Amino acid sequence: MYDVVDYVLNTTFNLGAAGWVVSLISYLMIATVLFLVAPLQMLFLTYYERRLIARMQDRVGPNRVGPEGMFQPVADAVKMFTKEDIIPAAADKWVHLLAPLVVVAPTMFMFAVLPWGPGMTPIDMHIGLLFFFAVSSISAVGLMMAGWASYNKFSLLGAMRAVAQMVSYEIPAMLSLLAIVMITGSLSIVDIVQWQGGLFISSSDVAGVPNWGLGWFVFNPVGFLAFAAFFIAALAEGERTPFDIPEADSEIVAGYMTEYSGMKFGLFFLAQYVLNFLLCAITAVIFFGAWQGPGVNELYALGITPDNPDGNGWFNVLAGVLGAFYFLFKTYAFFFVMVWIRGAFPRLRVDQLMDFGWKYLIPLTLVNVFSAAIWVGFNNWGANEGFGFAEPLGDLGRWAVAFVLTLAINIAAYIVMTRIYGETRRVTFDEQLADTAGLPS
Amino acid sequence: MELLIQIIFFLLAALILGAGVMVVAVRNIIHSALWLIGSFFGVGALYLLLEAEFLAVVQVLVYVGAVSILILFAIMLTRDVSGQGERLLFQRWWLALLVAITLFAAVITPTLLAQSWNVVPPTGPIEPGQPTGIAGALELGRGFVHEFLLHFEIAGVLLLVALIGAIVIAFEERNRRRKVLTLAEEHELRKRREQTSDANASESALSAPGHPISQSE
Repeated sequence: MYDVVDYVLNTTFNLGAAGWVVSLISYLMIATVLFLVAPLQMLFLTYYERRLIARMQDRVGPNRVGPEGMFQPVADAVKMFTKEDIIPAAADKWVHLLAPLVVVAPTMFMFAVLPWGPGMTPIDMHIGLLFFFAVSSISAVGLMMAGWASYNKFSLLGAMRAVAQMVSYEIPAMLSLLAIVMITGSLSIVDIVQWQGGLFISSSDVAGVPNWGLGWFVFNPVGFLAFAAFFIAALAEGERTPFDIPEADSEIVAGYMTEYSGMKFGLFFLAQYVLNFLLCAITAVIFFGAWQGPGVNELYALGITPDNPDGNGWFNVLAGVLGAFYFLFKTYAFFFVMVWIRGAFPRLRVDQLMDFGWKYLIPLTLVNVFSAAIWVGFNNWGANEGFGFAEPLGDLGRWAVAFVLTLAINIAAYIVMTRIYGETRRVTFDEQLADTAGLPS
Repeated sequence: MELLIQIIFFLLAALILGAGVMVVAVRNIIHSALWLIGSFFGVGALYLLLEAEFLAVVQVLVYVGAVSILILFAIMLTRDVSGQGERLLFQRWWLALLVAITLFAAVITPTLLAQSWNVVPPTGPIEPGQPTGIAGALELGRGFVHEFLLHFEIAGVLLLVALIGAIVIAFEERNRRRKVLTLAEEHELRKRREQTSDANASESALSAPGHPISQSE
């Protein structure tokens, strides 16, 4: 973007603009595009989810406004805009007003580090991954503000539940990402995507693997366990069923959104769907290679890149379109899984939710960090670090040993943890029954 | 460019100081917590202006994402949040002011005296392999596991102690816990009650004198 703006301003119009002006203009343009993309994603996702859940429940879903109900989200948006804005008399007006903004703003920030295609990352921060999750944790403050300012017990209960859930499930999410960061050795999202070139085996682990853009993290045991744990934690972060207790409508009306109407409610709704999109997107980025896929790297190599300054710009566009297609395809596939889970599972109780997060996911992800260390040791370390004994195996042999070892550890951990967890739950049920009723168990 | 950075710096400084003053100036204790969060944000943005991206992000992650949430939780558990009718200034406020100024001066004076001003910032791209100061995650990580390993581990052990202490304080004996049964559990309970009462009844019938069959079960 910088180069394009620079070319237009300084070569075509000969304005002689300074470097920082060009930077500012190009960043403003990118930000504008992203702020337009976010609400459009939300409009699409609401329609997508309603049609999909309708199919799963043997209904038709919205099909009246426009062809196949395509314009239903637009009609909903108009309704939101024209509704009366009600503020409860006892509410804390300023906090009540600011809360939706504090919830929405972080979700917009998170777009800053999302890679859409090769060379299409708005900002390549070297701590991009950490930035993403640090910013996402801000919205908890907004939820707390909303719950407290509404002066309503359902709001406060919903906010407490939401924050407790977000804080607990951040830990397994971070631990599963830690395993990935250990393997790539970088917090930059661009580096993480680059690492995932290859064909089922990453070309960063074994040099000389054909690079079809399919060396994704899910194809190794460490990445797979991290993916499973992360996706469950993402469901909890995004307040999707079965973790939707903060807004369980059969228990506490609409949780922290109870006292909001009109466009303020719309903003919460927007934040939630944009957050869900972002969580699906980041899952696709970290574990499924974002824009990596057959053909993208080949096309990009023909375009204008730092290595190849006199390439053809059209190949950049082609690679970008193909990369964005792969990326969005993966993202929507994950959103499909989210809707599918919503159609298939009942809601958890609060104690079940906390037990599952703290007693099952966290130990499992801790074991996975250990596996990641083994993976790094066998694949990347040499004689200096004490892994000289592995060198005669060759790259592929070392990869195979690491694969088998981590697979064995992770499967064993899964089996043991599941049995222990099942045991604790069974015992608690019977013993609680005995305790309450004074019966022998 | 220089001017732009200075303007941004002064805006951020005004935000941090203004929010800091509001923390102690507002009556409502929740509002002061929210102002404190605003101040934390300002400090994070200041780090970003200094190109210490990692510190900025960690500031947001730890202070805004975790500490402020803890503060809000704690405040919501206290009574009399609104602070209506309470005095903000007490009679000996000047004493508090004096202590605050003395302590601040004790910190700031050596800094002001020992500081060499107008240092020309390094220009141009940083050479690969050259340390990038304290801003990088890599340097911080190395520092934690090499030079400051003992401090790091002591801090970790302290946190663990605090965690265990919290569990000890909050732990409830299972048989003291009041629990509302779900419908399924209620049903299960009734079934077991019936079973035991049946067993008791048949037991007493069996052990009645003159019955031909003894307790073979």
